[in-house]
Amino acid sequence: MDNEFGEQWTAFAHAARAYLDGAAKASASGPGPAEPARIFGDVLRELFANINPPWNSGPWNFGSTAGPGLGSSAAVMPDSPALGATREHQQRSQRMADAWRRLDEAQRRLQRLWSDALREAAATFAANIGASQISAPSADAVRALYDQWIDCAEDAYSRAAHSEIFCTTLAEHVNASSEWRRELRATIEQAAKLLDLPTRSEINTLAQRLKSVEAELRAARTERAATPTTRKPTTRKRGTPKAGKPKTSAIKQRSARRKVQR
Amino acid sequence: MTAAGVYAALAAAGHVTPGCSNKEIVWRSGKLTLYRYQPIARPAGRAPLLIVYALVNRPYMMDLQEDRSLIRGLLAEGLDVYLIDWGYPDGSDRFTTLADYIDDYIMGCVDQILNAHRLQALNLLGVCQGGVLSLCFSALHPQRVRNLITMVTPVDFRTPADLLSKWVNKIDVAAWVGDGNVPGDALNGLFLSLMPFRLTHQKYVELFAGKPDRERLENFMRVEQWIFDSPDQAGAAFREFVVSCYQENRLAQNRLEIGGRTVDLRTLKLPILNLIGRRDHLVPPDSSAALQRLAGSDDYTAIEFDLGHIGMYISARAQREVPAAIAQWLKTR
Repeated sequence: MDNEFGEQWTAFAHAARAYLDGAAKASASGPGPAEPARIFGDVLRELFANINPPWNSGPWNFGSTAGPGLGSSAAVMPDSPALGATREHQQRSQRMADAWRRLDEAQRRLQRLWSDALREAAATFAANIGASQISAPSADAVRALYDQWIDCAEDAYSRAAHSEIFCTTLAEHVNASSEWRRELRATIEQAAKLLDLPTRSEINTLAQRLKSVEAELRAARTERAATPTTRKPTTRKRGTPKAGKPKTSAIKQRSARRKVQR
Repeated sequence: MTAAGVYAALAAAGHVTPGCSNKEIVWRSGKLTLYRYQPIARPAGRAPLLIVYALVNRPYMMDLQEDRSLIRGLLAEGLDVYLIDWGYPDGSDRFTTLADYIDDYIMGCVDQILNAHRLQALNLLGVCQGGVLSLCFSALHPQRVRNLITMVTPVDFRTPADLLSKWVNKIDVAAWVGDGNVPGDALNGLFLSLMPFRLTHQKYVELFAGKPDRERLENFMRVEQWIFDSPDQAGAAFREFVVSCYQENRLAQNRLEIGGRTVDLRTLKLPILNLIGRRDHLVPPDSSAALQRLAGSDDYTAIEFDLGHIGMYISARAQREVPAAIAQWLKTR
């Protein structure tokens, strides 16, 4: 539990004890605990005046990683209990901090494996080079030494890179960075929502809807193209109205009948 | 020329334009462009050849400059060459899947070509990751592919020399990709990490130590440009590819699913030519060679070249041997 929260708790406990003691004395000697209650109320007001209210902290406040009522150091204390209205934000901050720690550790381990590979390369290189190459530092000899060093370094690195420990550490590095990035993005999205800015999640949803509409449209077009025309060929006698005409004619006839009736 | 002189010459060569053969746009869809190359020799009378390049790099490597152009070599053999340029995916492409690439984009290109030529099937040349896409397309739409050529194409992703596969095995790829695309810069870093001493140090020492003539420096800059001109990867397709192929090796187990259908390599009955780089550090030869035991074709040919991954496109030996091998193989089919 962080110090600030502890101090606040201690202050609250002192104030509460003082109130209870004062209230008991006041009750025994006179009209009631009004005065101790007022004093306790003043203490509480001052005490909570220093606490960030929920709307004054959280993920949009990049200067503070605090959860409400827990002080600004909550995020860097991985064991801080997540309490209050913004506990989710606090937990996100804690997950981010944890991911960053794992990322840093993995990076150190990779660096150590890299150093080991270089040490192995140097040992192999030293064992391989002949005395003649060292004593004749012509341009070609220097170049040959350089190429030999590159060969030794690549060989040693390749052995390290293929090893189980390297693959595991690399995966841990990537996975920790993915987690850190995910939490950071969630934090930024939370801020964007509060400012009524479009978030990537919303845009993604729209993009996916558009994609499925496009797919349906394409499928419908393909289906229509593949479906043979089912309309039967019509044979029309000379003098009879063309197909499609009768409906119009019927409308005209009805209209003409109405005129006559009027 | 001093090192400063080489440096200045390199800076001057910094804006070389890759691509040398004349081509025309025949179809566009989204960011995809389908090109047809203009012939430079008498037509050989073969079905058109569609090149499906990888998603992870730009396809102009196939036509880098006159003396380093696989496409030019194919044109010189009288082949009718088409090429898919996938473009540069952006945020709006993040949900593009392998099924979209295979069933919509490649299918769209194939249909354009088949309609234009009034043909039932064409020849497909898949390069690297494009070879995987071509294998999938051929397995799912066998009636549209007459002959399949795969070049430096990974098939079995669990071979001992496959460092990429070992590295990604324990990575939570879904979390790494998230809902977004994979930056090209991240892939550049990954590929450099495979051989960091050679790729970030030795090659530049060689550059400055070699002959400082302009042509050599421009050649270097073209390749350099290609290496680092890495498009971002559509997140969904990348995730599918890495999880299904690299982590679960589904292609080699006939369990890869594309749009709900299973890619079964045993159904590949068409003639297959498999071009393998013996010194390929990205796609180990064993990974490519696995196609022989996995494909159902009775007409399978593999040719190994003593070349690395990039050397398969641009080395002098590749220019001499690869297009001729393809043309010769197609001639008898």
